[in-house]
Amino acid sequence: MKIQNSACALALGSAICLASGCVTSTVDQMVFNEPTEGIGNSTVVILGRRHASDYDTEPDFVECVGDHISSGDRSVEVIGELEFINDFYPWFEPRTAPLQLADLERLIQREPVVAEKLASLRTQYMVWIDGSTVRGDSSGSMTCAVGPGGGGCFGFGTWSNDANYEATIWDFTEHAEVGRISTSATGQSYMPAVVIPIPIIAPVQGTACDGIGDQLLQFLSSQY
Amino acid sequence: MSGLMTSVPDARALLRLAGALLLALLAGCGPAEVVVKGNFPAPTMEKLPLTIGVWYDPGFANHEFYDEAKSKKDSSWLVKSGEAQVQMWNTVLNGMFARVVPMVGQPGPGQMNPSVDAVLIPQIAELQYAIPAHTNVKVYEIWIRYHLQLVTTGGDPIADWTMPAYGKTPTAFLQTDQAAVNLAAVMALRDAGANFATSFARVPGVQTWLQQRLGNGREANL
Repeated sequence: MKIQNSACALALGSAICLASGCVTSTVDQMVFNEPTEGIGNSTVVILGRRHASDYDTEPDFVECVGDHISSGDRSVEVIGELEFINDFYPWFEPRTAPLQLADLERLIQREPVVAEKLASLRTQYMVWIDGSTVRGDSSGSMTCAVGPGGGGCFGFGTWSNDANYEATIWDFTEHAEVGRISTSATGQSYMPAVVIPIPIIAPVQGTACDGIGDQLLQFLSSQY
Repeated sequence: MSGLMTSVPDARALLRLAGALLLALLAGCGPAEVVVKGNFPAPTMEKLPLTIGVWYDPGFANHEFYDEAKSKKDSSWLVKSGEAQVQMWNTVLNGMFARVVPMVGQPGPGQMNPSVDAVLIPQIAELQYAIPAHTNVKVYEIWIRYHLQLVTTGGDPIADWTMPAYGKTPTAFLQTDQAAVNLAAVMALRDAGANFATSFARVPGVQTWLQQRLGNGREANL
């Protein structure tokens, strides 16, 4: 009976894996000064790091994390990334964005207009997300042909995706960095093709977004 | 007879169709053209209490970059950035200075122009681009090197310097090469504006000029 149940669980797991691709993920976090009553009527802005030469934090990943927080607790107001960097142009461009909290404090002292604008937005937390999702090894082969009677493909392809992100939380009230959350996710996607290719995509970036979003929700929201 | 009557319009229609197909094929052979379009935000900074003039050379205001295909596999590229350049520079300068005045002609002896504190003349010294077809990297990139001159209305030099700008965008699903090159160009223009707005007061010649105009205390805050 026990063996039967294990076999069922294995079959179910395999079916789920085959339907959406398999993803494994880990989340590490270290946070201090968590607001016990949530962030009240303050706002939080989530920004992506784009100063590295070989990768950019994807804007849609930053948006996904923001949406995850907003949908998890509607009382947490998240300012849109593009709206924020346009409002504070030219201070948050890839070339000029502050890398340390001290850089931001220097900017606030030097440019009172920036300080006034930040105060008017009631921004208490700034979250910087650094990382990207990359496509790893791929294998397999597929042949497609088109003729007068129609077309089709035959073959099998598989590839892996790796996502690595780190979120750093700056607290304006405490003038301190109050947390770091990192997540990594790896997944294998498949594409079998018998006439029609059927992509079975591993939701690697989505899993990483949920992982980092959940931890940020726990930090920012009083409901979690 | 009736057969002939019906066949003549058919032949004309066929000729028209063939002509249209030929035109479409020829259009396909032309360069990939990008007219850079984007929105540029005004800088959030304290304005300098100065009136700056700006002169856009016709070569700058109508700037276009043409790169001929190196092989039959590649396509030629025509990137028209003049209009977006003027739009970006006007927005940035209006956010940095109390007043911005466009010049009537290139500053120089005998040239009548409105009275201003100084005139900025931006020029593009070099523009390069890279697309995934060239580099096998899934990123579209644009580099621009500006030659900037700050002169008096009489054309006497105050400062002369070069400034780099860079923009990149990754490949995206269902995004055309043209849309990606446009986005990379807009990013490069944003970078140019950001670089100029944050480094202008630190350019040696400009620093001295600002000290003369505004005094040491004000300049030290820039």
